[in-house]
Amino acid sequence: MTEKVRIGDDALMFSETLLLFLIKQFNGERTLSGIYHLLKGKKSSQSIQDSFLFRVEPFYHLCDDLERQSFQKLIEHLGDHEWIKYMNSEQTRVILTEKGMDKLSMFKIERMIPDGLRITNYVTTEKQFWLRLQLLIQTLSALRYQQTAFLPITKFPAVTEAVRRIIMESSLSRNQLVHQFYQEIRRLLTSIPILEANIFASQFSGYHMTGLTLRQISDESGKDLFECRTFFKAALRRIMQELSKNKSRYPFTALLMSPGVSGLSTTAGVSLRFLKSGLSAQEAAHRRNLSIGTIEDHLVEIALKDPTFDLSEYLTDELEHRIMDHANRLNTRQLKTIKKALQEGVSYFQIRLALAKNTVR
Amino acid sequence: MGSLNNLREEDLLREAKIILKEKFGYHQFRSGQQKIIQDVLNGRDVFAMMPTGSGKSLCYQIPGYLLNGTVLIVSPLLSLMEDQINALRAAGERHARALNGMMHAQERIRVLRHLEELRFLYISPEMLCRSDIREALAKITISLFVVDEAHCVSQWGHEFRPDYLQLARIREQLGHPACLAVTATADERVREDIIRSLELHEVAQTIMSVDRTNIALVVRNVSNDDEKMEQLCKLLRTTRLPGIVYCASRDWTERLAELVRRQLGLRAAFYHGGMESIDRRKIQNQFLDNQLDLLCCTNAFGMGINKPDIRLVVHFHFPATMNAYLQEIGRASRDGQQGLAVLYYSPQDNQYPEGFIDSNFPEDAFLLHTLHELDEGVLTIKNKDQFLNDLQERGSSETAARFIYERIREKPAYQSFHSIFKRSKSMIEQRRRVLLNDLSIMKNYLTATECRRAYYLKVYHEDSHEKPVYCCDQCGINLADFDSVNFEDTVINRKQLMSWEERLSYIFKESERSKQ
Repeated sequence: MTEKVRIGDDALMFSETLLLFLIKQFNGERTLSGIYHLLKGKKSSQSIQDSFLFRVEPFYHLCDDLERQSFQKLIEHLGDHEWIKYMNSEQTRVILTEKGMDKLSMFKIERMIPDGLRITNYVTTEKQFWLRLQLLIQTLSALRYQQTAFLPITKFPAVTEAVRRIIMESSLSRNQLVHQFYQEIRRLLTSIPILEANIFASQFSGYHMTGLTLRQISDESGKDLFECRTFFKAALRRIMQELSKNKSRYPFTALLMSPGVSGLSTTAGVSLRFLKSGLSAQEAAHRRNLSIGTIEDHLVEIALKDPTFDLSEYLTDELEHRIMDHANRLNTRQLKTIKKALQEGVSYFQIRLALAKNTVR
Repeated sequence: MGSLNNLREEDLLREAKIILKEKFGYHQFRSGQQKIIQDVLNGRDVFAMMPTGSGKSLCYQIPGYLLNGTVLIVSPLLSLMEDQINALRAAGERHARALNGMMHAQERIRVLRHLEELRFLYISPEMLCRSDIREALAKITISLFVVDEAHCVSQWGHEFRPDYLQLARIREQLGHPACLAVTATADERVREDIIRSLELHEVAQTIMSVDRTNIALVVRNVSNDDEKMEQLCKLLRTTRLPGIVYCASRDWTERLAELVRRQLGLRAAFYHGGMESIDRRKIQNQFLDNQLDLLCCTNAFGMGINKPDIRLVVHFHFPATMNAYLQEIGRASRDGQQGLAVLYYSPQDNQYPEGFIDSNFPEDAFLLHTLHELDEGVLTIKNKDQFLNDLQERGSSETAARFIYERIREKPAYQSFHSIFKRSKSMIEQRRRVLLNDLSIMKNYLTATECRRAYYLKVYHEDSHEKPVYCCDQCGINLADFDSVNFEDTVINRKQLMSWEERLSYIFKESERSKQ
């Protein structure tokens, strides 16, 4: 929108710098869509892999509310200032100009990015968690004010069912429940920087007080929209990490976390992210400076805790059946015994994997 | 209606009035409501045409408290269902539920398990066509069979829903309860269709005027967008709010919201279909909670929204049909107080409604792509609501999605999806012609030199009756009479931004807890 761009360069400082940084990192090796998908958090292995390849992991899924059109306008804005130039006639690939390099070097991107943004373990479930959290807060506020009806901010069945279950299954009285939750949220927000906490909480809805959209927070505070998104995501990620590290301090709020991923140890979670980005176990080990055995341990843990992860690369269905047949026939879980019974070419790791997969079911 | 026989008619009416007051907080019936409710309570089949905002839901909600059994309300609009149930719950009614395809299966099971406890059950026509649901319903007593948006039964209407053709048969299977068919708009042809196809016998009809006499009508001619924005700001500076500004495009909603916020310091926000659904929800709820003075929106806003104290509806661009226009201005002052509708017209605006007309139908490329995805099995039509949802997420309008769905349903099983492309295209052409005719009626309203009200009443074949004091610009109107200074509104102007501690403590009512 012309209106937006006219506001002045100060208001856009953050978005400009961020976009210039991403363009520099991508270095014209992907189209602009690649950058857009990164920000949107597209669930394709390409996008996830790109975030590793170009060392921009923190920005994956930074703004799932980003409209293609606003992204395009921002790119055009950069072009108008001659900070970027197009590499092809279709104008799909761009790199920085000298002027753009100068502009970018004026700012330290590392300093602009809050630490919380770098916590990427929970990125796959952060949207789900955030919706649940907002709906739970809205529902508890309605209970607290004895409101008989309210318009929920989301009707997405997976979210409403989860929130419903958490409330119904609690043994506390409604009133205690609200207070318990209040204290947990308070504790969580106290643990993060105040600016992030304010942006985070401004989006909460309660009794006759509907939360703001990020766009509104940006308008009201005069902060760049991308900056607001960044602080929000940093807060969200810090909170998810705190919840998963210190479950016992937040018995109620921790229920909002998806068990599949939060159950994973942090280090296995990191390996999982590498593996999901398309790296092999060997490459992941190299990247993380760990032994292949450790990564295999992680894979076994993943098999146990994240049944959605595809392990066929390490263990075919056919081999899995063969291992389990032997294990069941011999009625043992002893690796050595099973290995002996099987012909050559089957590793201990594969047997552990098969056993892990089959404990789950 | 055995239980009612011993109650005389006036007793029933007295009971109805008590419920009106105690449950819904109104002191008297609005025009039309009383006769409809009496007819319903007498067990008659009833056809009612009531304009948007004239309180049609009360016509079946009040009988719900006087009849034995469950009132079944067939409604095609999910948002409307939700809003109505919400309003009922807010009025203390716990036995109101919905059944529709967008619900979690678990929740559907919960509803079915407690069917007989329900006083009100809202149901989508698709759900009602399912045999398991019908069997469950056949086991309970249906006191009244309400068909909302009854014009959907007619092929003459623009919103024909084939599922509605099954309703007469289903009503039989449910023990032939009395039927109340309601709609906001239906010409004579459509009315006849409704009565015939729903098999209404000795039907009691109440046809209310489409006229909303408490809304004053103003059309302002301007020469360009700048002049429009200038005039809009001038109007908003003094006129009584809250208000809605309808725009033809998403860009304009954003632009105007920003303009108004910066220039006038009003609490303004925008709302359009391109936003994340949670953001749309938030803006809508803020407007309902009086956190906003002005909402700049596309026609995506409004369906199923019940806010009785909207005082101003502005059209920054004019809509494509008289019907849509009346529907949109009908959102003003549902509480019966004086409302104002202002439409700005500049000759350049003629481009927009054509766009609206197009949005009723899928573009060729989209249609082709969808049919391709269906043939490939990427998309399925197993769950209708899901399918409609999928298409909308791919950028289709709801009407266009429904259009595609209907074409697919007519397709013989042995043919590929792709095979219906040509026929669909010719149907689009045919319907487009009808819509262009509607558009010309709307355009004539803008340039008419007679009374605006008289013009649209003529469109609906109604005679003009008594002119309201504030009629229209042609009859003479002074906009200053609508200035907020003339009214004693109390506006709670809570700040939007606050510290997290302040916000949290309010949301969980913690400040009071410490005092307890």
